[in-house]
Amino acid sequence: MVNKDLIPKYWYNIIPDLPKPLPPPRDPPDAEFSRVELLKKILPKEVLRQQFTIERFIKIPEEVRDRYAIIGRPTPLMRAKRLEEYLDTPAKIYFKYEGATPTGSHKINTAIPQAYFAAEEGISHVVTETGAGQWGTAVALAASMYDLSSTIFMVRVSYEQKPMRKTIMELYGGKVYASPTDLTEFGRKILKENPNHPGSLGIAMSEAIEFALDHNYRYLVGSVLDVVLLHQSVIGMETIAQLDELGEEPDILIGCVGGGSNFGGFTYPFIGAKKGKKYIAVGAAEIPKFSSGKYEYDYPDTAGLLPLVKMITLGKDYVPPPIYAGGLRYHGVAPTLSLLIKEKIIEWREYKEEEIYEAAKIFMKTQGIVPAPESAHAIKAVIDEALKAKTEKERRVIVFNLSGHGLLDLGNYESIRRRVEK
Amino acid sequence: MRRMLVTYMTLGYPNLESFYKFIEKSVELGTDILEIGLPPKYAKYDGPVIRKSYKAVTSWLKDYVTPLKEVRKKVNIPIIILTYLEDYLSNLDNFLTILHELGIDGVLFPDLLIDFVDEYEEYVSKIKGKGVKAVLFTGPSLPDNLIIKASKISDIFLYYGVRPTTGVIIPVSVDSLITRVRNLVQNKLVVGFGLNDFNDLRKALSAGADGIAIGTAFIEEIEKYGIQSALQLVKTIRGILDEYS
Ligand SMILES: Cc1ncc(COP(=O)(O)O)c(C=O)c1O
Repeated sequence: MVNKDLIPKYWYNIIPDLPKPLPPPRDPPDAEFSRVELLKKILPKEVLRQQFTIERFIKIPEEVRDRYAIIGRPTPLMRAKRLEEYLDTPAKIYFKYEGATPTGSHKINTAIPQAYFAAEEGISHVVTETGAGQWGTAVALAASMYDLSSTIFMVRVSYEQKPMRKTIMELYGGKVYASPTDLTEFGRKILKENPNHPGSLGIAMSEAIEFALDHNYRYLVGSVLDVVLLHQSVIGMETIAQLDELGEEPDILIGCVGGGSNFGGFTYPFIGAKKGKKYIAVGAAEIPKFSSGKYEYDYPDTAGLLPLVKMITLGKDYVPPPIYAGGLRYHGVAPTLSLLIKEKIIEWREYKEEEIYEAAKIFMKTQGIVPAPESAHAIKAVIDEALKAKTEKERRVIVFNLSGHGLLDLGNYESIRRRVEK
Repeated sequence: MRRMLVTYMTLGYPNLESFYKFIEKSVELGTDILEIGLPPKYAKYDGPVIRKSYKAVTSWLKDYVTPLKEVRKKVNIPIIILTYLEDYLSNLDNFLTILHELGIDGVLFPDLLIDFVDEYEEYVSKIKGKGVKAVLFTGPSLPDNLIIKASKISDIFLYYGVRPTTGVIIPVSVDSLITRVRNLVQNKLVVGFGLNDFNDLRKALSAGADGIAIGTAFIEEIEKYGIQSALQLVKTIRGILDEYS
């Protein structure tokens, strides 16, 4: 029986602690409709309120804490002792294991409160899109917890390549469609042009939003928006308490970045509490947003239905190459994270597929966990920092977020093996 | 103390004749400060209603000097111009000189502390140096220390927009937002951006706002029911403000 007291009572919001104003979301110059106004019809009311809140700490509803307990929060904070030995480093390495949740990744942390706020508002049905399937799985489970129906538009190629993802979403009660579908005007238009369209995240997102608007359902957001990072802060809040219990002071905090939600959720509470000396955000070299992205207003979604936000971005029309970490194939970086990178409070790294594959193998060999390919990016940075501590003979404490396990990504590992190990 | 009614109207909306009438009568009905919007190239932080009003007037309004001269003649309360700094980067001195010569009291650039935050103090000096008052715009996404600094150098009052854009009623906790900012601001505090619900108005006033800025609600009223009805709304809001005097 889990001691619920160990689950944080508050989410942490970094907005009031930012060094500069967070540029507000806006509509494009010649908007035919207001995307900011559209948000009111898309998101549950309380989610929208939290998106624009400036309170530093926000109470987590008891009902949400109950569900957090059901999915196994607090998730374990583990020491990577064998990895330390393997690297022969004086550094101590800890990881927060978000893969320990039933859906296998951190995404459930925000799916639960978003579904809860929708249910509280009397909404009966939630809708979302999913690329690789992690987010869709989290939404299907969260919806079932509050007796909501869920519809998930899954990018057609993924739908065909990853039948197990569809199966798990359906087991949780979600209705999964290969997008483009003929359920929406947007989908029908795409299908008319190309009946065999492979789909894209942008199309799936447009379909999900249109479907939600048509039926007066609500849309759940998986990353990038402030409110998602807010909910994910449960990761960092727990980690702080767990480190305190061990009497450890962290020096370096590391996480991978797709849209920025697990990274922000993990590190922001540390930044707010002035704990840690170095924060490292890790992306994929194949999607070089940190090194080549511009800091400017852009759409979070490829279809351009959400308001513009100021972020580091490769442009909404950027087509990411098919690297095996599906969750990192995103063109932008959450606005708060972008600002903190611009202000040099957070550092970044980018690693290539081969490098992170090596890191993942070392982690599997030493710790036994198959990391999600996304999380393997964080591991690569951890290894580099641990080796640096060795060279510099410093006993640093490195803590990273293992955002998910890779047991549903074995097909991806198989394909990278073929590519890298020729 | 009398709470301030800051009335916003887009220059020339819906047409010159009605615009003058609205301005003059709204002053008679208790407007303390006029805020007049000059249509920008890109209304970055405005909602659909104000954007539409910009669009409506830009098709025929080619010169802002003559109508502003006229407004200055008609009313003797402070006039503040609301527009975007972005459009005047290359000819700011000239723009400020014209405003000064027209007898306009101040300018408010909503993008100053957001998009030009690294140089805002230089811009404020420049504005004041030209004899024009600088009214600063702040909002919830600004860090506390910036609000404190900005409030001290803001002329006439400090503007605090409770929502990310004008006229879009995103659910926010008006009272807690204003209670927080009230403690930071040693200046008159005027609250706006999506404030047209009478309950929100009362909450803002109870939480210590010295004034309220209303724009979208007047434009919507004109759009739907005409000038008379918008003036009636001015009167109603004046009444609410007076409950707190
Ligand atoms: C396991 C895992 N980690 C990380 C990410 C990256 O997303 P974010 O940066 O929003 O946390 C994803 C996204 O799907 C993911 O599934």
